[in-house]
Amino acid sequence: MKNYPDISDILARKEARRREIRRLTFGEKIAMVEKMRERLAPLKRMREEQRERTKSSRPSS
Amino acid sequence: MAIKQTLEVINIMEADGIIGRYAIGGAVAAFNYIEPTVTEDLDVLVSFTELPDSPKSGLITLAPIFSYLKARGYSEHQKESLVIEGWPVQFLPVASDLDAEAIAQARDVEIGEGEGSVRTRILRAEHLVAMCLSVGRPKDLLRIAQFLEENVVDVPILCGLLRHHCLTEAWQAFCRRAGIADPCDIHRKP
Repeated sequence: MKNYPDISDILARKEARRREIRRLTFGEKIAMVEKMRERLAPLKRMREEQRERTKSSRPSS
Repeated sequence: MAIKQTLEVINIMEADGIIGRYAIGGAVAAFNYIEPTVTEDLDVLVSFTELPDSPKSGLITLAPIFSYLKARGYSEHQKESLVIEGWPVQFLPVASDLDAEAIAQARDVEIGEGEGSVRTRILRAEHLVAMCLSVGRPKDLLRIAQFLEENVVDVPILCGLLRHHCLTEAWQAFCRRAGIADPCDIHRKP
């Protein structure tokens, strides 16, 4: 039987962080979302470019 | 890029009579109650009924909104949304009794503090849940589960809403699918 590490403390910390986030005010949560949007903008661009490439490489019927 | 500027523009639209009473809906409204995640756009539920020029036929056109915003330099469209100060905004006219009730009972909130703050309205948790249920996409059903898990819904109010808007059957189906006990069962009169 494999011996896996105990990660319960990591999961507990993650849950505690989520609880903290839930307690933020609406304005604080919105500020957080705006930061997330900025961070994820390059990934979004990449996804859109990939979609465009897939679309243009498909043979037209 | 900040949502505060976007909301300032929408507040001016309301003051200028381009739109009637409005409230934030969708994911951004949900963030007032549950853990936030990334969202692409801002859904704004808009009433037109109290405007003097509101159409009597029941047909609503968003053209006056778009021309008003275009005249102020906002003409970039992203899918169904119009970009205002960096946020794609989707204007959703009130299209049901549930929408009308939700907008009438939306709560006032202030984003930020002091001079830089902006006032707006957001839909109540119970209305957001009922709307998610009536739309019924997988992401809406997930959001309902989050509302329940985070215990931010007033269950008797929600159950009353579901009954009033004929959503009880859809709600029971959701509870069965999600594998949860129907919280309305306890609050249902015998």
